[in-house]
Amino acid sequence: MKKAILSKGIFAITIVLSLFWLMPLIFIFMNSFKGDAEIINHFLALPKEWTLQYYVATWNKFNFPLLLKNTIFYTVTTTVMVLLFAPMASYFIARSRHMLVCRISLLLMILPIMVPFQTYMISLTKFLGGFHLIGTRLGYISVTVGLLLPLAVYIIYNYINTIPMTLEESAYIDGANIFQCYFYIILPLLRPILTTVLVLDALSTWNDVITNQLIVGTKMSSMNIQNALYMFFSVQSTDWSHALPGTMMSIIPSLLFFLVMQKYIVTGITAGAVKG
Amino acid sequence: MGSIHRGKKQYLYFILFVLPALFFVLLATDIPFVLNMVYSLFEWNGISKSATFVGLQNFAKVFHDKLFWKSFLFTMRYTVYYVVLVNILSLFVALQLWKNTFASKVGRTLYYVPHIISLTAISLVWQFILGPIFSGFYDITGMPFFHYSWLGRPKLTFIIILVMTIWQNIGFYMVNYIAGIITIPRELVEAAVIDGANSKQCFMKVMLPLMVPSLSICILLSMMFGLKLFDIIMVFTQGGPVNSTISVSFNIYKEAFSANHYGLATAKSLFFVAVVLCITGVLFQLRKKWEVEM
Repeated sequence: MKKAILSKGIFAITIVLSLFWLMPLIFIFMNSFKGDAEIINHFLALPKEWTLQYYVATWNKFNFPLLLKNTIFYTVTTTVMVLLFAPMASYFIARSRHMLVCRISLLLMILPIMVPFQTYMISLTKFLGGFHLIGTRLGYISVTVGLLLPLAVYIIYNYINTIPMTLEESAYIDGANIFQCYFYIILPLLRPILTTVLVLDALSTWNDVITNQLIVGTKMSSMNIQNALYMFFSVQSTDWSHALPGTMMSIIPSLLFFLVMQKYIVTGITAGAVKG
Repeated sequence: MGSIHRGKKQYLYFILFVLPALFFVLLATDIPFVLNMVYSLFEWNGISKSATFVGLQNFAKVFHDKLFWKSFLFTMRYTVYYVVLVNILSLFVALQLWKNTFASKVGRTLYYVPHIISLTAISLVWQFILGPIFSGFYDITGMPFFHYSWLGRPKLTFIIILVMTIWQNIGFYMVNYIAGIITIPRELVEAAVIDGANSKQCFMKVMLPLMVPSLSICILLSMMFGLKLFDIIMVFTQGGPVNSTISVSFNIYKEAFSANHYGLATAKSLFFVAVVLCITGVLFQLRKKWEVEM
């Protein structure tokens, strides 16, 4: 009896504590509607009026239309490219392991997972500089795709290995070619794992600050929203009446995306963890 | 097994299917990594056209670099604290919230939310809390806790970084642990209970051994996170106060981009990759040993 109460109590505490995980965001949300003076004097109170004026001011002052356009463009392009290239490569490699080039390619594509990006990013910037790709959208997208592909290929490759080959074999006997096999048989079967890749990669591109900072730097025209926040409001900022609405505007899209796709995040991580 | 595309056209198909992906990976990861090895043998400031070949001198310099070893120690200390705390806490939360009731589902979502927010936003959120919010609370309560200089004293900043990263990532490991708990066959736990095991024995002797796959994945991932610690240092503390929170990757970054010692920076990074690979290699071996055949 006592034990049941105790375990219920621990459960209740865990639930209550989860609210603390949300608390910082609630603080930011509430204070994003206030001016500087009101933030300092009434940081706990609800805003005096729910005005969007600070959002509008931030929107105009920091060129948010361009930033949003860039960020959406990056997120969509890189995710589409990964979803296009990763399953193709994984499929061919998984089904052609007798080819030496395939085994080498697999190694080259999977090894980077183990090596921290920060250790070779110095040479990366020098290397890209040679092609005049620094500060350009093209350079940023190529690097992001290249950094996202290893994990995507690894996950999809493992998944394809669990699909029996009998389906394709009978398709071949019926006269199908490799393209038909891939598009009509394999791709539909990959849908669950591709959703996972979609969610992971879209979120990580949207939230990326380091790669953008590294490749694009301070070039306003190809900056993404997170990098801009970092540039404008970095260490020891006090311009809270602009920083807070800016932060909210960068969080809201990923939050909405998360709430819609939540189910797939959990199942995806599960698939990765069990197989990994 | 695993080969049905034979014949004359197989290399054409290889080019069509594999090459696009391979191209981007080579461009962004493999080639820069190889270049790293080359640079590490030269003395080069990253700008001038000429670089002097110095052989292994850069590697020798690494061992005499005091700041590097300080950052190495910081990274190791951080990793140990982070791995232990985040795994215990997220395992605890997972054990509470793994059932599919409404309350647990909401709780799970809330714990996960910080993980989908960008680092810049996170760092602004915490600057706001440690700044205006804490000083506001100090004015109301007068508790000295709110008046500490959280980002001005090495020990406190260490704690803040630890708290921030745990706050941000606990949901991710929690989900992994829940995935592990769900796969445990209920009969095994029930059988243990019938045989008179108490809840502690049930957990230690039955559930934990069966959770080794998710346990080892979480330990591996959290260890990688700790060793790689960079982003949060770059956007939040910049290594301060008094260089106490410089992580290894941040030290390498600074060496290359602020001090312009490319050769030395790449030598450091290669040394560090070797350390990381050794640690993960050992962990992989241990994992094989621990895993229970089911």
